This record gives sequence, structure tokens and C-alpha cells, in this order.
Amino acid sequence: MIPPVVYLILSVLAEFAIFSIVTLSLNLEVGHTGIAQFGRVLAVEVGAFTVGGLSSRLLALILGFPAGVEYADPLRNYAIVDEINKALSGNALGLSLGLSYFVISLVLAAIFGALVGWVTSRPAIRLREAYLGISLLAYGEMLMWIAYNYQPLVGGTIAVGVPDPLRIIQVKGGPYGGLYRYVTITFIMLAIALLTYFFVERLVKSQFGRTLKMHRDCEIAASAYGLDLVRTRTMSLIVGSTLAALSGALYVFYAGACNASAFTRLTWTFWPWAYMMLGGIGNNLGILAGVLIFLTVRVLIVQYRFDLAVALRLPFDPIWLEYTIAGLAVILIVLFKPHGLIPEKPVTTLPRDRIKRILKSVGERMEGR
Amino acid sequence: MGFTLVEDAIIYACSLGLLAYGINLIYICTKTFNFAHACMATWGLYVIFSGVAIFGVNPYYFLPLTFLFGALLGVICYACINGPLLRRQAAAVTLMMSTLGYDLILYSSIQIYNDFLTYEFGLYPRMISMRMYDFIMGGVRAGTVIAIVLTAVTLIPLHLLISKTKLGIAIRATVENPSLATLSGVKPDKVYLTAWIIGGGLACLGGAMISMVLIGTPVMGWLIIISVFASSIVGGLNTIYGGIMGGLIIGLAEYLGSYLLTAPLGSWILQYKPVISLVAMSIALIAFPRGLVEIGGVPLAEKLKKLITPSKREEI
Repeated sequence: MIPPVVYLILSVLAEFAIFSIVTLSLNLEVGHTGIAQFGRVLAVEVGAFTVGGLSSRLLALILGFPAGVEYADPLRNYAIVDEINKALSGNALGLSLGLSYFVISLVLAAIFGALVGWVTSRPAIRLREAYLGISLLAYGEMLMWIAYNYQPLVGGTIAVGVPDPLRIIQVKGGPYGGLYRYVTITFIMLAIALLTYFFVERLVKSQFGRTLKMHRDCEIAASAYGLDLVRTRTMSLIVGSTLAALSGALYVFYAGACNASAFTRLTWTFWPWAYMMLGGIGNNLGILAGVLIFLTVRVLIVQYRFDLAVALRLPFDPIWLEYTIAGLAVILIVLFKPHGLIPEKPVTTLPRDRIKRILKSVGERMEGR
Repeated sequence: MGFTLVEDAIIYACSLGLLAYGINLIYICTKTFNFAHACMATWGLYVIFSGVAIFGVNPYYFLPLTFLFGALLGVICYACINGPLLRRQAAAVTLMMSTLGYDLILYSSIQIYNDFLTYEFGLYPRMISMRMYDFIMGGVRAGTVIAIVLTAVTLIPLHLLISKTKLGIAIRATVENPSLATLSGVKPDKVYLTAWIIGGGLACLGGAMISMVLIGTPVMGWLIIISVFASSIVGGLNTIYGGIMGGLIIGLAEYLGSYLLTAPLGSWILQYKPVISLVAMSIALIAFPRGLVEIGGVPLAEKLKKLITPSKREEI
């Protein structure tokens, strides 16, 4: 028997990976560029629906299964996905097909994410602050509502299953196959999250990152120095949306299904905002810390809520305490620690000792004259 | 009891107007975009629900109570969260996020209250229909009359307050130039507090009225809030009259517009009601990035204001 705590830790790690990508992308747009991005869920949805509605159908088409409207039909979808899974886990060809399906899905999600980032950047040219934030919020809601009501996209009210590229591990793994698959996908996601972290960290230290910060700190000064504000904003939204779409696609692979109603503004916009504010706006390392702390508390409450209710004789379901704690945390951070747990530090583009060496060599040259 | 679509549409549109101009009022005075409006509206529903459950009379008797309760929620928000932040001159995004935190706390308090009602009194408040308490009064649905009257009744004193009283002058001065107003001896605290009292009260009132049309659930506020934001934005955040106008446009577009579209397109369009309002909002924003009042609402309101108070302006 596998102790349940293993699954608990794995679920924390998996959610940490997904949400750290979302929150890092949010931080790029909010913390570094200063765009009031209240529609993070939109790009995540686009990534998720790319896998649930497009790339899985392409796979079905290649393997000769129905891929049209009937693919999203809840009565037939699970049978089709089951057949595809069998085809994927049968032999070496199936495995390579599954892996290329995984990679191509992520690439497609990234492309569509970039596209939606460009589309959302169009209103961002004209609108400011609250107007912009609320418009972005509304766009995310609009896509969710369409997907929820239009069944042929991703099954409407009922989740649509997606083929599992890692099913072979589950099939060959025997009694512990499910666990092996869980561990594998978790570590793949963690690796991608880590890559994202290093990518974003490099990005904000680059010239492009400094441009973003200049845009955030003073738009007037930035444009006076000849910075193209519209282009900066557009680029930031494109990069951020690409990353968010990746996390949406990963979430669908992790869950094994794509459910339109799972993509609420609370989970994919407001929780990441809370993580970001806890960790420290503008600091990527702080983001990781914030996501980890918040997620651990959330998962622990969900896991032990019944024990908590019995122990404290609460006259209500303690699941609601999750919201109280999150709300209180946001308010307390805003009031008493406005820069988060790990505040943003001035970014040095070169390592400190190298700067010292350069200074020293410059000094020597000056003395030599 | 069957009520017609037009009656539903009128109640819905007026309630959206009430909610939207509450948001606008708070935004104008404190530069805070209030996310907590959603759960304040839901609390309005549960105030009248509790009243009906305890006393068994008509829900409309409890409308003044909902206003007071909403005002209380607003005062709490101002005293504990918004006030300290305003004194520190926090950024607009920070102010927005702090009200989001308050919204989450209010949401959990609603759910806890629901659990409490279920465990202690055996009530089932998670899926309620308030419209069954509505009645016909002199040939028309009472709710429609009350919705229209409420919108007018709350707007007229507010208009008088803003245009006639000293507090109104202080509000207008603070809105136009906070630092100059402070220099002239206006206490901004009073203005902020007034905004939160009226705005919070309107939120609860609007939520109570809108539950006469919709199914009451703990997430009712979260479902309608996008339409409310759309109303505020379409009308223009910088004027309270814009909120009413936006509410009427969005509300009627959602109910009557989607109904009118069923004839050429088929009944499937009814599922996409919220999308219609959001499309309306997008079009309005692309054409008028500062809201519909750009067309002429503000000059009209200014002209009216000048007509009403021609001499007082010189006195200041």
C-alpha cells in the first residue's frame, strides 16, 4: 500500500509546477511591465482548449478515429480516447507517437497563446488601468462561457477526455503503474516550471527586461527616451500569454481531461494574483515561494478539513476557511507587507564579482595613463 | 407564478444599474474599483431570504434593512482595508486587490452563514427562488415597479446630496482634485466614508432586487458581477449616471436583445446571454475608451448641474 501522504506531496508538487508557471507569467506582465492583467485565465483556457479541442483531435484523425463533432460527444468521447490510449501504449511506434503528440500539443498551445496575447494587446493600446483590467477579465469570462455552452469545442458542461501520452507507464508499471505515471508527469511539469523560471529570470535581466521595468516605472520617461510603449506592452503580453497557455496545456495532460467549467477566474486569475502578492510582486524567486506556501496551506485545508471540523466542533464545513485565509492573507499583505515576503531587489545584469573585476581593470587603465 | 420576460428584463436592468452606479460612486470618490461588490450583492439576497424565513412576510419589507447591512459592509471595508490604504496613497491595482481579498472573506462568510442556516434551522439556502414571493399589484408585477422606483428614489437624494449640500461640494472637490480639496479644508475621510456607505448599501440593495429574477445561490454575485462591471465600463466609470445608463443598456441587451435574436438565429442564442453583454462592452470600449458618457452624458449632466446650482458655484 502506498501511504496517502505520497499522493498529497505529489499533488502539491504538481499544482506547484502548474501554478508557478501561471504566476511567473502573471508576474512578467504585472510585476515587470505594470499591466493590470485581470484576465490571466484567458491564455490558460486557450492552452487547455488547444489540447482538449485541437491536438487530441489531430491525433484521433491520424489514428483513424472519429475527430469531428462526435469526438466531443460525451457518450462517445471516452470510448474514442480509450482506443487512442491503447494504440499509444501498445508498441514503440505508439510511444513515439504519444511523445510527439505531447510536444506538438505544447508547441501548438504556445503558438495559440502568443496569438491570444497579441489579440489582447490590441485593447491594451488604448485602455488604461481599471478599464483595461476589467476588459481583460471580461474576455477570459467570455471564452469560458462559450466553451461551457458550445459542446462541440471541449464537451460543454461535461469534461472531454484527452489521450494520455504517458499511458504506457501506467500499463507496463503493473500494480503501481498509476503512481509511476503520476510521478513522471509531476516531474516533467516541475522540469518545465524550472525551465520557465530560468527563462523568465534571464529575460528580466536582459535588455528587454529593463525595457519592461522602464515602462512600468515611468511611461512618460520611457517614451521620452524613445521607447516604443505599444511594442513593449505587446511583447510582454505575448510572452506572458505563451507561458500561461503552456501551463493550461500541462494542466489538461495532468488531469487527463479538459473541463470548461474548471477554468474559472478565481482559480486561474485571482489565486495567482494572491500567490504573486504573497511572494513579492516583481521578484521571480518570491513568486515560487509564494506559490509553494499558499498551495501547501490550501491543500492541507482541503485534505484535513473533516478532522478539523470534528476537532474544533465547527458548525460549518471548514472548506470555506480556505477562502477566509486567502482573503485575509491578501489584505494583510497589502496592508503590512506591500512588497511581499521577498521584495524586489535591483537587478544586476552581471555577477557582482565580474562588475568588480571590470571596475578594477578600468581603474588600472586609468592609473596607467 | 409566471412573469413576462419584459418584467424580468426591467428588474434585471434596474438592479444592474443600482449595482453599477454603486461601483462608479466608489470609484469616483476613492479611485478603488470594488471587486467586493459581488459578494455584497449576494449578502443582499441572504438578508431578504433570512427576513422571509424568520418573519414569513413579503421580501420587499426588508429592502431598507439590506441597504443598512450593505452600508455596514461598506463601512467595515473602509475602516479596515480601504481607509489605511488610501491614507498611504496606494496604487490603483493594490486598491483593487485589497477589495478582492475582502470579497473572498465575504464569500466564505456567506457560505458559513449558509451552513449555519442548514445545520441550526434546517433551511436550504443554497438554491432559492425569491421570485415566488413576488406578487401582482394593480395589474403589474410589484417587482418592476419597486425596481424602477428604487432606482429613481436612490438616485434623486444622491443627486441632491451631490448638487445641493456642503458634503456634495466636498465630494465634487475631492473628485476633481484631492490635494487641492484637502488644502481648502475638505476632509477626504468623510467623502470616502460617504461613498462606501452609499456604495455598499446600493450593492446589497441591487443584489436583493436582482435575486427576484435569478436563482439565488452563494455564487450569484460572482455570476452577475461581470455584467455589472460591463455596465459600469460601458456607461463610463467616472460618472454615476453612466452606471445607471450602462446597467439599463446591458440588462436590456441581455434579456430583450437575446430574445430578439432568437427569431433569426434560433433558441441556442439564449445560452450566450452574458456573451452578448460582453460583446456590447467590447464594441463600446473600442469606440469610446472612456465609456458612453463621452457621447454627451457628461456635458448634459454638467449643464443640468449648472442649471440647478448657478450661484453656488461662484460662492465656492
